[in-house]
Amino acid sequence: MVDAARHPNIDIRTYTNVERVEGYVGNFKVQLRQKARYVIRERCNGCGECARVCPIEVPNPFEMNLAPRKAAYVSMSQSVPLLYTIDIDACIHCYKCVEACGALDAIDFSQQDQVTWEDIGAIVVATGFNHFDPSPMTEYGYGKYPNVITAMEMERLNNAAGPTVGNLIRPSDGINPKNLAIINCVGSRDQRFYPWCSNFCCMYGIKNAVLLKQMYPDMNISIYYIDIRTPGKGYEEFYNRAREMGIRFIQGRPSLITEDAGTHNLFVHSEDVALGKVVEYEYDMVMLNQAAVPQPDVDSVSSVLNITQSPGGWFMEYHPKLRPIDTPTDGIFLAGACQGLKDIPASVSSGSAAASRASRILHSDQWEIEPIIAQVWEDRCISAQGKQCGLCAKACPYGAIEVEVGKPAKVFVAKCHGCGGCVAECPHNAITQMHFTDAQILAQIRTLLAEKPEEKILAFRCHWCSYGGADLAGTSHFEYSANERGIRVMCSARMDADFIYEAFRLGAGAVLYSGCHPQDCNYITGQRVGAARADRLMKIFEKMGMTPGRFRVEWISASEGDKYARVINEMQKVIDNIPREQLLKEIETLRPQMEQRARRMYETPQVDEALIYADKLKAILTAKENPGE
Amino acid sequence: MNEHKLDTTSSFADQVRAIPGGEHLDLCYSCGTCVSKCLIQQKVEPEYNPRRLLRMVMMDKREEAFKSPTTWLCSACDLCYPACPQQIHISGVIGAVKQLAVEAGYTSPLETVKVDETLCSGCAICVMSCPYGAPHLIEKEVNGVMDRFSEVDVNKCMGCGICVAACPMGAISRPGVANVDILPQVRVEKIKGVPSLVVFICDWCLREDDDVALLESYPPNVRVIHIPCSGRIDPQLALFALSSGIDGVLVCGCALGECHFKRGNYVSACKLSILDTMLEQMDVADRRVRFVRIGTQERGQIRREIDAMLELLGSFRVVN
Repeated sequence: MVDAARHPNIDIRTYTNVERVEGYVGNFKVQLRQKARYVIRERCNGCGECARVCPIEVPNPFEMNLAPRKAAYVSMSQSVPLLYTIDIDACIHCYKCVEACGALDAIDFSQQDQVTWEDIGAIVVATGFNHFDPSPMTEYGYGKYPNVITAMEMERLNNAAGPTVGNLIRPSDGINPKNLAIINCVGSRDQRFYPWCSNFCCMYGIKNAVLLKQMYPDMNISIYYIDIRTPGKGYEEFYNRAREMGIRFIQGRPSLITEDAGTHNLFVHSEDVALGKVVEYEYDMVMLNQAAVPQPDVDSVSSVLNITQSPGGWFMEYHPKLRPIDTPTDGIFLAGACQGLKDIPASVSSGSAAASRASRILHSDQWEIEPIIAQVWEDRCISAQGKQCGLCAKACPYGAIEVEVGKPAKVFVAKCHGCGGCVAECPHNAITQMHFTDAQILAQIRTLLAEKPEEKILAFRCHWCSYGGADLAGTSHFEYSANERGIRVMCSARMDADFIYEAFRLGAGAVLYSGCHPQDCNYITGQRVGAARADRLMKIFEKMGMTPGRFRVEWISASEGDKYARVINEMQKVIDNIPREQLLKEIETLRPQMEQRARRMYETPQVDEALIYADKLKAILTAKENPGE
Repeated sequence: MNEHKLDTTSSFADQVRAIPGGEHLDLCYSCGTCVSKCLIQQKVEPEYNPRRLLRMVMMDKREEAFKSPTTWLCSACDLCYPACPQQIHISGVIGAVKQLAVEAGYTSPLETVKVDETLCSGCAICVMSCPYGAPHLIEKEVNGVMDRFSEVDVNKCMGCGICVAACPMGAISRPGVANVDILPQVRVEKIKGVPSLVVFICDWCLREDDDVALLESYPPNVRVIHIPCSGRIDPQLALFALSSGIDGVLVCGCALGECHFKRGNYVSACKLSILDTMLEQMDVADRRVRFVRIGTQERGQIRREIDAMLELLGSFRVVN
């Protein structure tokens, strides 16, 4: 840390909040609020004279409130940079600190919060995690029985720099405990509080047990556990070492702790699962290995940075396996436990990875993106004509579109990822997606439905999931109907209602609308935009009186090749079960309605190109079918 | 023998899951919280183990589950339900197994209440008072007369004795704690020394062994009578004790929400609070009959309560 602080290119801002983030990758504008610490940063040398003379003592949260600190304080002695802060809520304005500071003259009670805007190229979020307060779990009596402590309190009591100078004493009477119980999974793996496994507590509990056993060889230590999880290099060996040292492991989650009111000794009731018997042992002290939980302010951080959260409140990575450091917003990276609970080695690795991802941005003059971005036909956008719309901005998962009444919608190219949601949502067809234009997709629809359309199943597949699923069905040789014809788009959000109307207008037998499962969407919320549209379409077709099953919506992942084949075969059965004359009659009846609904698409600029594309496609297909000619 | 073969189509586990209460069976990860929260293993049956019963169901061990004491001894007090980290409604699962066991012809091995048909008037107060819906009215001919009588479903009765206290005709009895068993013990000539105190203590409100042992250590002026549930206490028992010259009566029940028989502690608390008012009207307003709730987490509370009662009764003696 000290090295980092001395580095000419590293500027550490402590006691500072990030309030707003604007711009995009490489060009962020960040608003920082440097909170008033009433100490001049440039002058303070960290000597601590102010704290020595300060008459006010308040609980010290760094010591888990087991010791006091002064109103003039540093949060911990290893703080970098070592700057004192005046806790203005506790300060009585006696100004003794000003006197003690003397010639340095570092204390300034007139200081105000400083708000600045800074240019930032990349952002790494490393906000860490918090601890669960076990007092709501009344069965363990934390907060009621003095000798039930949390793991963090143990950490301070056991620390040479802590309030007891490393002498482990129990809070009720200050003697060294002889019998200690460590209870794992307090609040974690618990549907009443936090359902997840907190990842490192097993190892952490064993570490504390081994440490204490080395310091106090006479101490009897029991660890109560549901399962011991030691998934790391050397971890299982460490667990075995703890067993060999004589630490007692009891499989069984305690249901109750009772206290002897006289001695303040504790009785832990649990089942010994290996014996199948209820056991009750007496201890001097109990340590609760409490759950690790997200920071309380994750919501405001994620809204400031425009990054999403996984269930539970961890920041969402771009892809859990392939891009675990990146967020869906380019230029913002995640390090450590804020993304998901990690132990120290994993946190250090992810920190290094995030720094290296960020330096890629800082070292390049240009930033490459996929060329499939959205473009606005400015003359068609009704926002430019002074009307309220903004549907495109609402559909965009990346906040890449800015809409201001009186001006055409504006796409920030660097933020656009090319899902095409805005293109399909725009009711005036005023946006197009490069390489996935309406004309190009229309040409595919028309070509694929050129002959005997009533026999065909037209499948719209999203690039990331259902296209992969169809691919897997092919490579795995799952048999499915040969009448299936697929069209690839980037996301189910791009599957414009007009395409579906057009397909049915042309007389398609059935249409499949397929994409990722909601949690798998490559474009954060693109699937939800697509799914909402599919719901609307389903209702419309139902009202029109279309045979159920001719329009089908399925979410198929890239690993579900078998599902893709099954869905297509089921759709083929639906078509087969309708007598041919009846099907043709239904298509004819519905055709005018479909045409009416799809009419706006025919006005789209460059839609005429579809005819040229269609001719070219037809030529290619013919050449494929008749290789001799 | 298909002991090791798992039938996943319509297994025993599926049948249990299909009964309301049995749904969340598969979430159990065998942490043992339910076993140690429950007092049955410690107090009644060492083989009692809800976690293992859930496992038997999951592994399709039908006969073993039906024969297990866990199936029959669970009184659905639901102490384990709020403690379960997976929020499995364990008594619901056990109830589902019990239902299947009864359908398969197994019967409860528990000691249940008996109705004396010569005394029963068919008033149905027992039907209303039972937390398990065990008694119901039937019509049958006794001594040549068609009449309504109460009949108890032995597979539902848990033997708490709430109906015994409720029956106005004294027609219901439970072996061991019938009126004929208790009344002779609350006579003053049986209790040596002053102040004389009768302590009715519910079997389920003391968790700690040293608290249970404490009850034996009092001198003979304190008579401790164990009852299955504080709901068994009929106010008449207390009045009988007072009228026979005993100084005080202490009824100990479980804390709110901890009753082993769902609501026995509410029933007795209500009855004894009415008795309190009655005694006040009779100018016996010094709280000689007292109901106290003993929490299972409160080690040593029973000693404090009895000592406080003895002190109170001792002070009356001095004044009188």
